[in-house]
Parts: sequence; C-alpha cells; structure tokens
Amino acid sequence: MSVSRDEVLRIAQLAEFDVDEDSLPEIAEQMSRILDYVAQLSAIPTNGTVKTFVPGPDAIRFRPDEVAPSPLMFGPAHFAPAFKEGFFVVPKLGQFE
Amino acid sequence: MSDARAVADRLVKAKRLNALLTPAKDLRKSLLAQAAAARTTGVLYGMPVAVKDNICTLEFTTSCGSKILEGYQSPYEATAITKLKAAGALIAGKTNCDEFAMGSSTEHSAYGRVLHPLDKTRVPGGSSGGSAALVAAGAVPAALGSDTGGSVRQPAAFCGVVGMKPTYGRVSRYGLVAFGSSLDQIGVLGRSVHDAARVLSVISGRDPRDSTCEDRDPLRLPNVPESLQGFVIGLPKEYFPAELDPAVRRACDRAIRLMKELGAAVREVSLPHTPYAVPTYYVIAPAEASSNLARYDGVRYGPRFDGHQDLHALYRTTRGQGFGPEVRRRILVGTYVLSAGYYDAYYRRAQQMRALIAQDFRNAFDRGVDLLFTPTVPSPAFKAGEKLSDPIAMYMSDIFTVTANLAGLPAMSLPIGRVKGLPIGGQLIGQAFLEDEMIEAAYALERVVPATDEA
Repeated sequence: MSVSRDEVLRIAQLAEFDVDEDSLPEIAEQMSRILDYVAQLSAIPTNGTVKTFVPGPDAIRFRPDEVAPSPLMFGPAHFAPAFKEGFFVVPKLGQFE
Repeated sequence: MSDARAVADRLVKAKRLNALLTPAKDLRKSLLAQAAAARTTGVLYGMPVAVKDNICTLEFTTSCGSKILEGYQSPYEATAITKLKAAGALIAGKTNCDEFAMGSSTEHSAYGRVLHPLDKTRVPGGSSGGSAALVAAGAVPAALGSDTGGSVRQPAAFCGVVGMKPTYGRVSRYGLVAFGSSLDQIGVLGRSVHDAARVLSVISGRDPRDSTCEDRDPLRLPNVPESLQGFVIGLPKEYFPAELDPAVRRACDRAIRLMKELGAAVREVSLPHTPYAVPTYYVIAPAEASSNLARYDGVRYGPRFDGHQDLHALYRTTRGQGFGPEVRRRILVGTYVLSAGYYDAYYRRAQQMRALIAQDFRNAFDRGVDLLFTPTVPSPAFKAGEKLSDPIAMYMSDIFTVTANLAGLPAMSLPIGRVKGLPIGGQLIGQAFLEDEMIEAAYALERVVPATDEA
C-alpha cells in the first residue's frame, strides 16, 4: 500500500498544518513505509472478540464538586500570543460563501 | 547538602553535551534561591534533580524541545515537581529531549542534538537523552524523564545509568505534557538504583488532579537484600533472538549467571505476541499524539508564526513551522489511522493486539514468575545520523521497551557491562504496582554485576 501525494495533502489538511511542495515526496514515501510496516497487524487473527485494553483505574474517580483556588500562578495574558480584555485575539475566521 | 553554587558549576561544566536547555545565569540564580528556601527536613534535602523539558516547572521555561513552545513559561507546575520540592530537592534546570518526547536518539530536538558523554559521535538515546547524559556525566545524581515507549530506559542503557519507568498510574501525569496519554509515565534516571528509587518513591502516590493516577500510597522502598533466594526470574525467549548483538547477549548471560548465583530460579518463558509490539505501538502512540498535539495552534500559548490571513491559515502556518519533521510525521500517521475508513483496520486492531500483549505478561506472571529479565536495547549506542533517514530502523530501537508501556507494567534498565567502552543495559520488568520487588532484585544485581567491565 502506498500513500499518494494527494492523500498526504488531505491528511495534512485534517491535521491543520502546511506541508511544503518540496518535502511532499519524502513525506509520502516515509508515511507509506510506516503504514506498510504497521499493516502487519491486519495479518493476525483477532476474530473481533478480543477486548481492547487500556491500563489505569477501572472506574473514573470524580473529585468532590467544590470550588478550589485556581492552580494557575498567572493568567493567559502572560503566555498567550495575543490576549486582550479577557479574550484570545485571533484573525478572522475566513470567507464564507 | 551540596552547595548550590557547586551544583550549578557541575551542570555548566557539562555544557558541551548540549544536555541542558536552561541558560547558566538563570540556573545559578534559581538554584541559589531554591537552596535558601529548601525544606531542610525533606528526605531529598539538597539533592539536585534535573528535569526533562516536557515536565512543567515554575522555575524554568518548558519548551518540550520544540519551536512551537519556545520560551513558554508554564503558569503551573507538575505534581511530581511539587512533591520533589516538598522533599527538599532542588530543580536543577531543564534537559534537552526529542521534540515532544518523540524519538530514540535526542536528535529530534529543535535545540540541537545531545552528545553521548563517552563518545561524542554517538547518540545518548532518547527521548530523555539530556537527562541520561547529565546523570552519566556526573552533573546530577538523578533526573526526571518521561517514558512512553522506552524514553527513560533506552537512554539509561545507552549512557550506563539506571532508568526506572513505574507502573502506569503510579506517578501523576499532571504537568507532564501529554504525548500518548495511555502510555506516558514520568520516570527517573539515576546514577545508582538507590538514587533513582528514592526519587521515584517521592514523586509517586495519589493525585486528585490526575484521574488516571491510582489512589495508592507512595512507593515504599525495599531493603537491600542479601540474596535473590525465592525470586523466580523469567527470560522471555522472544527477547533473545538469534540476531541479537553478541556482546549484548554476553552481558545478559553474565547477569543471568550472577542472579542464579544469588539464589534466583531462572526459567524461560514465552511472550508470543512480542513481534507485534512495535507496530502496535506505532499505531497507538501516533494516534494519541495527533489528538494531544491538536492544542498547539498559535492561539492560547507558544509563539504565533506570521503570514496568516484567517484563522485556519494561522493554525496551518504555526503548526507547519512550529513542529519538526518527526512530530509532523507522527501527527500525519496518527491522523491517518484515526481517519474514516481506516480506524478499524489500524486503531481498533492495534488496541486488540495491545490486549493480547498485556495478556502474555499476565500468563507469564500467573505461572509463578516474579520478574522478567531482558536486554533493554538490542545494541549499544549508535552513531549520530545513522538512523535519521530511516524511521523504522529508529523505531526498532524500542523493540524491547514498548511492551511494558503497552501493558502498563513497571520496568527498569540498569548497566550490566560494556562493549568497546559503550554501556549495555539489562531490563527488569515487574508486575503492576510491585516496583518494590523489581527494585529489590535490582539492588542485588547492581551489587554484583561488573557494570563497567567489558562483557
């Protein structure tokens, strides 16, 4: 199986990042190799009945619903790229047709 | 208590390794302030502990070895850091690592590669390569790392130090920048089993801020045993393949003989799904990474890269320029395996395989084995650049370590010999939440194994 140039662009769009033209062939080649490599998983019989496994506590524990002091030592004005009057400042969303 | 100035001097002296990201001036200033405020009654009073740059600290910036978080000052600190400080330890700067902990050589850092302390043409392993190199160079007795697929144990093996990954849920992940949330654990690198174990004991235990952290008391350290009488050590045959580096095999054989001489019973076991561990890992870890790294978009934190006309262009330029090639590769693979039409073929299949791998371990432990012993890595430290153009070859470096993360088990690496001067690590894998047994065996083995002798 091999990943095409167009597929890389589609996946990059889903992942929200730009891929430059020059690096496309290399990315497509490496993604293909990685996906070919992990595809060996489909060769083994798991007959669909195997339960999936995630480590950790069996049940979600909830904290008491109490007001607690903020764990942040300072607010977003100190670490956001653009922050004004309590809002994160972003460019316009784009043109809608 | 060591003098804060001397601590800073030792760290600055190791500068040539490029293992420390904190500037010398900031480090000196902070260490002096921390030493003046340190709790004198704490069990780690005065002990400098360097911290991997993907663990949030208030003292220093947290960049995760990435341009996308360059200069980021976290407004909160990890629970592990709070616990270290409460025990009187000094946070001794932030260590270089593969970007977002994705890598096995610390060559994938936006801040340059880390040099192996014994041979600068080689890699220190990764992704916690900066932490391993600093401990190996004698700059600090211990350092925190994170282990998602071997990122504490593999660099520990390459650098000739001890590296411990606790059971999933033993140490709070609050403040550890998430990569693969079901695999990540904070771990410890130390110059001896005891140095690593005492730091691990301090950072372990319940934390209401992490719902995946188990509601358990901190780890209690075992005594140093006289022998290994009563221990049954399993040798999984899949971890000793015919193509294993002969020097690694010799070092393992010697360690196994020494454990027998100490009274341990040794028997061969089989973990039949081991060959599928790396492909399973390289579906699950990128899938989780692609979700976790969606938050870096140039809006809420980190730098924003120019050239955007609208919001989506802002995301795309910031993420396109902010992430390095390996992180981009993993996000793409992760997005692919989670995308419509591929989810069942890749992700669900990998989750099922993960269950079978975990079951392999349970079967071995159910048959009376207490611990497993394996090589940590199939070979000693490789040359810088050797595996950079071949991601699969790089991923194979994790072949013996990813299984413990997939199964959520505690595991550690300790030095068991050298080949042509390069350290070799042996790995102990324990049962969930029985780190004390693993550490007990490591104490015994450490006392007898000629860790710096040629194997």
